[in-house]
Amino acid sequence: MNTRITTDDLMRYLDGELAPEERARVDTELATSTELQREVAIFRALKSDFQELSFHPAARYTSVWDRVNARVTRPIGWILLVAGLAVWLSYGVYLFTTSPSDPWEKMATGAIAIGILILFASVIWERYREWLRDPYRDVHR
Amino acid sequence: MQPELERELIRKCKAGDARFYEPLVRAYEPSGLRLAVAMMGNTEDAQDALQDAFIKTYDTLQRFDLRRPFGPWFFQILRNQCRDMLRSRKAKFRMEEVDEFIEERPADHERGPERAHQRSDARTTLWKGLERIGPEHREILVLKELEGFRYGEIAQILEIPEGTVASRLYHARNALREALVGMNVEHP
Repeated sequence: MNTRITTDDLMRYLDGELAPEERARVDTELATSTELQREVAIFRALKSDFQELSFHPAARYTSVWDRVNARVTRPIGWILLVAGLAVWLSYGVYLFTTSPSDPWEKMATGAIAIGILILFASVIWERYREWLRDPYRDVHR
Repeated sequence: MQPELERELIRKCKAGDARFYEPLVRAYEPSGLRLAVAMMGNTEDAQDALQDAFIKTYDTLQRFDLRRPFGPWFFQILRNQCRDMLRSRKAKFRMEEVDEFIEERPADHERGPERAHQRSDARTTLWKGLERIGPEHREILVLKELEGFRYGEIAQILEIPEGTVASRLYHARNALREALVGMNVEHP
């Protein structure tokens, strides 16, 4: 543009971001420059049509709130679950250690419980490693 | 949404009550979706980005300064989420059929079917023009023209100095103009 108005000034002018005195300066330049008038007209037309563009996703759009809610409240569920399990486990261990049963009975029961826990943990760990290696894990059905 | 109500909701969310997050999600969902669709090009990826952005926003609410407006902060997270998804293999910019998105305005019909058709064509052309420009141009145009953010807010969302916003907008508008010229449209 062959005027004293920079492109930044022009954008600020179009977007109403200029102070009144700066706006008056652009108006003065605008009154004398046909090139500037043409630029402003083009950008105004573009701006105007852009503002008429809108999206209409309602037909098949469902709010994300349910999914967001499920995720933001999940940690509370985990905390309660872990806390409850910890209390029951502690109580179970207490009953187990203080019961008057024979030591061999306790050892056998303890071995079964520990064995189940180890098997359960190993299955979870294996599944987790498989999930990490799965190249299709981000593919939506 | 009233700024005072918004602050109160955020305060409650910060205190750990997720129920108060729903009005915020509902209030910012339509505008968030517009930005996400413009960045991702399709509703499916836009919805995923929007959902993840809302979750990240909730997770980082403790760091949010209540003296600042929530909107630009949320849009900054959403914009970064869209960019991350486009950078990763999770999503690729893919423009959906434009007709699915372009909303007909009742005012166009009031001015007659020919006028409505012309306006519809102009919007379709503009949307196709948007497809041809880069994501950095598209995002700033959406923030300014569709969401009506001020330069200061755009600077915060895009994490750029406020002085850079005008020149970015100039380049974006010029890019769109050239894209339209390339489509044999003098101006929209």
